[in-house]
Amino acid sequence: MSTPLIRPAAIIALSVGLVLSPHAMAQGVTGSAAIMKEIRALKEAYEKKTAELEAKIKALEAQKSQQTAKNKTPAGRRIIKDNSFNPSIGLVLNGKASSFTRKTAGDMAGFAIGEEGERGNEGLSIDESELNFSTNIDDKFYGSLTAAIVREEGEDKIELEEAYVQTLPNAGLPDGARLKFGRAFWTFGYLNEQHAHADDFADRPLPYRAYLNKAFNDDGVELSYVLPTEQYFEVGGGAFRGDDFPSGNSVTGLGGSSVFARTGGDLGNNQSWRFGAYAMYSDANARATEEGEVTFNGNSYLYAADVRYTYAPTGNAKAQELILQAEIFQREENGTYNVGGGAVALDDTSVGYYAQAVYKFSPSIRAGIRYSQLDPVDTPAGLVGTDLDSRGHNPRTFSVMADWTNSEFGRIRLQYNHEDLNDVATDKQVILQYVMSLGAHGAHPF
Amino acid sequence: MRKTTLALLLAVWGVTFSSPAAADLKVFACEPEWAALARDVGGDKVDAYSATHARQDPHHIRAKPSLIARIRRADMVFCSGADLEVGWLPLLLQRGARAGVQPGTTGHLMAAEQVPVLEKPAVVDRSLGDVHPGGNPHVHLNPENILIIATELGKRMMALDPENAAHYRNRMASFSKSWRAAMDRWKHRTAKLSGMPVIVHHKSFSYLFDWMGLKEVATLEVKPGIPPTVSHLNGLLRTAKSVNVKTILRAPYDPSDGADWLSAKTGIPQVELPYTVERNAPAGALINLFDRTITLLEGAHAGS
Repeated sequence: MSTPLIRPAAIIALSVGLVLSPHAMAQGVTGSAAIMKEIRALKEAYEKKTAELEAKIKALEAQKSQQTAKNKTPAGRRIIKDNSFNPSIGLVLNGKASSFTRKTAGDMAGFAIGEEGERGNEGLSIDESELNFSTNIDDKFYGSLTAAIVREEGEDKIELEEAYVQTLPNAGLPDGARLKFGRAFWTFGYLNEQHAHADDFADRPLPYRAYLNKAFNDDGVELSYVLPTEQYFEVGGGAFRGDDFPSGNSVTGLGGSSVFARTGGDLGNNQSWRFGAYAMYSDANARATEEGEVTFNGNSYLYAADVRYTYAPTGNAKAQELILQAEIFQREENGTYNVGGGAVALDDTSVGYYAQAVYKFSPSIRAGIRYSQLDPVDTPAGLVGTDLDSRGHNPRTFSVMADWTNSEFGRIRLQYNHEDLNDVATDKQVILQYVMSLGAHGAHPF
Repeated sequence: MRKTTLALLLAVWGVTFSSPAAADLKVFACEPEWAALARDVGGDKVDAYSATHARQDPHHIRAKPSLIARIRRADMVFCSGADLEVGWLPLLLQRGARAGVQPGTTGHLMAAEQVPVLEKPAVVDRSLGDVHPGGNPHVHLNPENILIIATELGKRMMALDPENAAHYRNRMASFSKSWRAAMDRWKHRTAKLSGMPVIVHHKSFSYLFDWMGLKEVATLEVKPGIPPTVSHLNGLLRTAKSVNVKTILRAPYDPSDGADWLSAKTGIPQVELPYTVERNAPAGALINLFDRTITLLEGAHAGS
């Protein structure tokens, strides 16, 4: 396309040069009328030629614009979001302004809570600032690292949330199979796999705080397999180091394992559902909770089930959508608790659950409610009067939230929690939160 | 308990490998137009499924369980490409973990990679709205593109299902014959529409306008994906009057409020153009899509 344009342009440039130069020459060289005449003739010839060419160009341009002269270029097989060979980089900035009616956080009756499961800071504070790098390593592997910068005990620390490698579909595993290894938010329940910034509420529900210390991201390996069935079925399992809650201080380096199964489907065009069942075994060795005041030795079996239902009235979840979601957990602990007064044997089961509904009124406005509750074990005789004595109280929280989403990358949320963690006093909490993501941002699963 | 699970996993593995291959070529289409084209070219040898329906905005789809199961068993993934499905297709491909439909394979066909792409931005920044770095992905609304893409689709189907190569070749030949005939008809009908100034909600119809020679004066969206604002609409009010805009167009999934407002203020009629065909549309639906679209535009042209 460029050649027919370049050639006339060159001729024009040449002719313009010829038109100008005789002037200069005419001033310097005098008395050579014959030469001047010849030049004039040449000039006229070129002017005529130029006019013809200009007309031609105009005709060509008109013809071109009538067809389609916008910038048409083939898309090519290029993956654009990934800055060619550099990993994609994503940042999440989030922070809160919180106000609590109880100035010191109360104990969660009957439960020993890890650091991440505790109440957040009052006043102004930033949450974990997340930094993510991820990309395909080669044709067989994908790698991702997420570091969170957090403030703990007055110092900014880096916490490695995820650092994993995952097989790509060309890795040679059977179709439907994936292997993930390293550190990751493993498949367990609904919320565990997602980063907290993607949650619908400003804090995790009680069972996540009590049973998973907010989230389970031990070092380990997980295999999953999507069955070649009409309906979605996925099964899998993992083996873990055994350092992260509900494990603790692994001796063997292989102190945890899990299995899971999931299914899901559609109801008509605009409704979908998902159901999952999970089991996890954890070996706990002097697992410290309640800021080191409580330790546990023994085994922990955690079972969970999650269900999620979405309904988008027009099929466009971006416009309006109802999401119902619930999870239930059951934990069997078999071992000894030490609250400072010597080891006390415990072999019992506790239950925790939450249910929430979130409705998106418009692409930018959502509101939601959530109820969560824990049913602790019967307090063994040796623990009566300690931090682990529930005194017959079931910790529970009722939350309402509303958030405003300016774009899919920025969200501001207001939440109220009515929290009865123990029989001492109710904690009324107001939280104003912002969550902003910058740069590459992976899609969130269903 | 762990042993039982392992046994179960192995059993599942066994079932997978021993299950006989289904007779039909399973096509996972991201949008209904590609499912319809797969039916046109593949006929009864193809089982084409569309991940979305006509009233869904293909930019924003959830990677839901049913789609993972579909892509898990697909022999071909046939989508628009150029980043239209960037929010969900990569996740589905990863979760479904089907090797034969990954990017770069015969079973992975992206329409926008086959045809010249319009509106490829020189600068990409999120402040410019939801821009597609790969250019405008709505390529199916130029009938010339359909013909190019169908030819490639036919070749891929023959390669994936060589047993039925003759079937695909015959269907391809008859499809392209009837499509060319239809194009002649459309060219004749759209000649008088050339140059007609229109306002559109989102740049969903650029290929159609380009092919017909319609003049897109402005979009109701401030920037791609950014909803109309009052000040932007007031600006459009002046534009619409000065250039004698004939109609305000939007896709069925575009919100109607902006078009309603401008239409009420200016008296310019708004038209909901069918962006695509129905989800389970039979073969031949694409020809009807263009027939209907042209009829609607002819109406808009005559009406004002």
